[in-house]
Amino acid sequence: MEKILKKSDLGKWVGKLSAFDCYAPTKENDHWEFNQVTYLDSLPEDYTQVNVPLKKVVLPNREVLFNFEDNRNGGPHIQEVLPEEKEVVVFGVRGCDARGVALLSKIFSESSPDIYFERRKNQLYVVGLSCYPLPGDNCFCLSVGGGPFSTQGMDILLSDIGRKYFVEVLTPKGEKLVELGWEFFAEPNDQDRQDRLRREKKAQEMFNLEIHEAEKKAGVLHHLFEDKIWKTESFRCLKCGICTYLCPTCHCFDIADELASPVPLQGKRVRVWDTCQFPDFTMHSSGHNPRPDKSSRLRQRIMHKFLYFVETYGEIMCTGCGRCVSKCPVGIDIVNILNRVESHEG
Amino acid sequence: MVKISDVRQEAKRLLEKGKVRGVVGYVPGTRGGWAIPYLIQEAERAEQLVWDPTCVHNLALFVVEEKKEQAKQKEPDKRPLAVMVKGCDSRAINVLLQEKFINREEVVLLGVSCENSGVVDRRKITHLLHGQQAGEIRFGDNGNIVVVVNSERRIFDPQEVLADRCLECQYNFPVVFDYFYGEKIKKTPPAPYAQVEKLESFSLEKRRQFWEEEMARCLRCYACRSVCPMCYCAECVVDPISFAVEPTTTAEEKAKKIKWIEKSPLLSENFVYHLVRAIHLAGRCVDCGECERVCPEGISIRLLNKKLEREALRLFNYVAGTDSQAPSLLSTFQETDPEDFIW
Amino acid sequence: MNKDHEPRIVAFLCKWCSSAGSDMAGVSRLEYPPNVIPITVMCSGSVSPIYILSAFNLGADGVLVSGCHPGDCHYIKGNMYARRRMALLKELLPYLGLEPERFQMSWVSAAEGVKFTQIIKDFVAQLKPLGPQTYLRRSL
Repeated sequence: MEKILKKSDLGKWVGKLSAFDCYAPTKENDHWEFNQVTYLDSLPEDYTQVNVPLKKVVLPNREVLFNFEDNRNGGPHIQEVLPEEKEVVVFGVRGCDARGVALLSKIFSESSPDIYFERRKNQLYVVGLSCYPLPGDNCFCLSVGGGPFSTQGMDILLSDIGRKYFVEVLTPKGEKLVELGWEFFAEPNDQDRQDRLRREKKAQEMFNLEIHEAEKKAGVLHHLFEDKIWKTESFRCLKCGICTYLCPTCHCFDIADELASPVPLQGKRVRVWDTCQFPDFTMHSSGHNPRPDKSSRLRQRIMHKFLYFVETYGEIMCTGCGRCVSKCPVGIDIVNILNRVESHEG
Repeated sequence: MVKISDVRQEAKRLLEKGKVRGVVGYVPGTRGGWAIPYLIQEAERAEQLVWDPTCVHNLALFVVEEKKEQAKQKEPDKRPLAVMVKGCDSRAINVLLQEKFINREEVVLLGVSCENSGVVDRRKITHLLHGQQAGEIRFGDNGNIVVVVNSERRIFDPQEVLADRCLECQYNFPVVFDYFYGEKIKKTPPAPYAQVEKLESFSLEKRRQFWEEEMARCLRCYACRSVCPMCYCAECVVDPISFAVEPTTTAEEKAKKIKWIEKSPLLSENFVYHLVRAIHLAGRCVDCGECERVCPEGISIRLLNKKLEREALRLFNYVAGTDSQAPSLLSTFQETDPEDFIW
Repeated sequence: MNKDHEPRIVAFLCKWCSSAGSDMAGVSRLEYPPNVIPITVMCSGSVSPIYILSAFNLGADGVLVSGCHPGDCHYIKGNMYARRRMALLKELLPYLGLEPERFQMSWVSAAEGVKFTQIIKDFVAQLKPLGPQTYLRRSL
């Protein structure tokens, strides 16, 4: 379903969504983050991309799984804790972040459903914003199956066409949101459709970063397990978690028991973010570490995204948001690495 | 002016003669010409070395990393490692020497002076260029910074674009070195502790609010710890399990490992993490400012370190990394140390 | 704020002086508030700042570190190292917004039972109006 929403009506529509928790990009210091808002008159003109991707909504960096308690007489007692029942609308989601959640669903919903993820995802309404101009210099979504006007993982996509948004309503959830403020939505005409198309075309020509034949990388990487590129490229790696924590698709976690009181035993079992880039991530209790150095960990990050995930799910686990390239403190550049490995073939 | 050709030549000579096992220096990165740290092992690659205002990294970190790496090797290469060091990097080397983490013979220091300039703050550049990519960033005359954008030369005053740490730096030249490039120009920053003093002037409540907002953002990616050349402990108090688990570590030893803080990025745990880090860096932090630069959430980590740096100076007249022979701040004392706070 | 809150104090007392001082208070039948959880350590110089931060993290309302008077340290100079370290921590905590009253250091000799009781009384009196310490306290 296609609609038109005047920019000046955005706030009125959001006003009708009071039953939901609304999130929108807000500026903190120098960067954007999704924060809860009580009203939203407009999506900021200078908005580029949020720092921490949308995944934080479905896979928060701390998820309480259950409470446990050892009340001496009654024995151990476990109480399930599920995410709060609260429907959440996030505005201004870029295509890469929405695709990130869609890819995470392959792991947490499709193959073996995770109730925490599923509940959060079912409660999430994604109102996307297409990218024109591109939000960053390091965007490369076009190379990995996305695009500046990608709709995957979204319920609604808003495209800025001047004074109004071209609205693509993509799912029943999207329809529900539009129905709540139906009076603000109009039917698009041919001019509107052309405006949107023209912008999409232009946006596609704006990329200055590209992975050549990304879909073929799996075949190349297959032979590069022992390549020396991992060592030279990882020399400067800091072993920090920036690339993975800010990645829309990285989803590794650790499970920990947090004690509120040791005696009587009382606490919570939580799921927290973890990353393959930390040296202790693969540490066995024996002291053996199968990924003992920086090169094996960098290799893991790239192989997981461009080989292992492709083998398992048939898709690249990278949405081309460019965060890992922009945010790496020592300039490790996944696009550059992947473009260089093609010459290693054979 | 530092003549990079001199640095390249020396690096090449050291590699050709096999005097060093490698040269850690800056080479151009892939995106927008920002320099990256690199280990050069072939003499012909020495030509790639660069020295410009994007050489932000503290390369002393790689001395630590390489030392740990060599320790794991069955047949370690005992030759020294050559490193390009700025003023702050060289002070970090001094601390490593002082703490006997490394010996002087293990490193060959190619000292480069920042002279009357320093390194740039990427956020300031991005802001000034309104998001446009800089093609090239280099030193101009009188400490100015030349930024080339779309083949147009723009000249910025150092005050506009240099990293805060450089604007507050008093050691803009290497204090320990084997080779010295450029001039030693003494700088006296007007107010090195202005930001600390500003925060101190706030009420307790306002300070608390400030830090709560900062700490709430911490993702615990540990980039600040990972980038710090002083954070070389094999085992860090914040890790619930430790790197120092060896195949010989017994179950009892493992069970006895104390979990000081939780892995969850809860506000209280973030506070304890950053406080512990700050206090562990007291008298050791050389204010290279890398922790704050790398923080993806822009947390004002330097404000913590700077506070302790000032207290070390005010209470104990101590400046970190200036003398590798002197005892370190917390491994010594004076009879006259202040004790008016003690009941 | 809960003014009736009974503050919980974690006191790191060195074995040779301050802990003996607290014993002296005990055998002398001196009374002092029961708000203190004493932890005997070998030397005030062995108290790492993380012990103090951890005490706050686990719910202490106040932390006391007490050692021998300068010159009396059983290990010659452990207390002097402690003095430097604690001076820094004493500056750092209020800088982050923790009330300065919540962390104290004292010199208490084995003979100073009276001084020990006075310190605890004063500390409790200082902490009471502040209410519970929630700033660094872990709440799951």
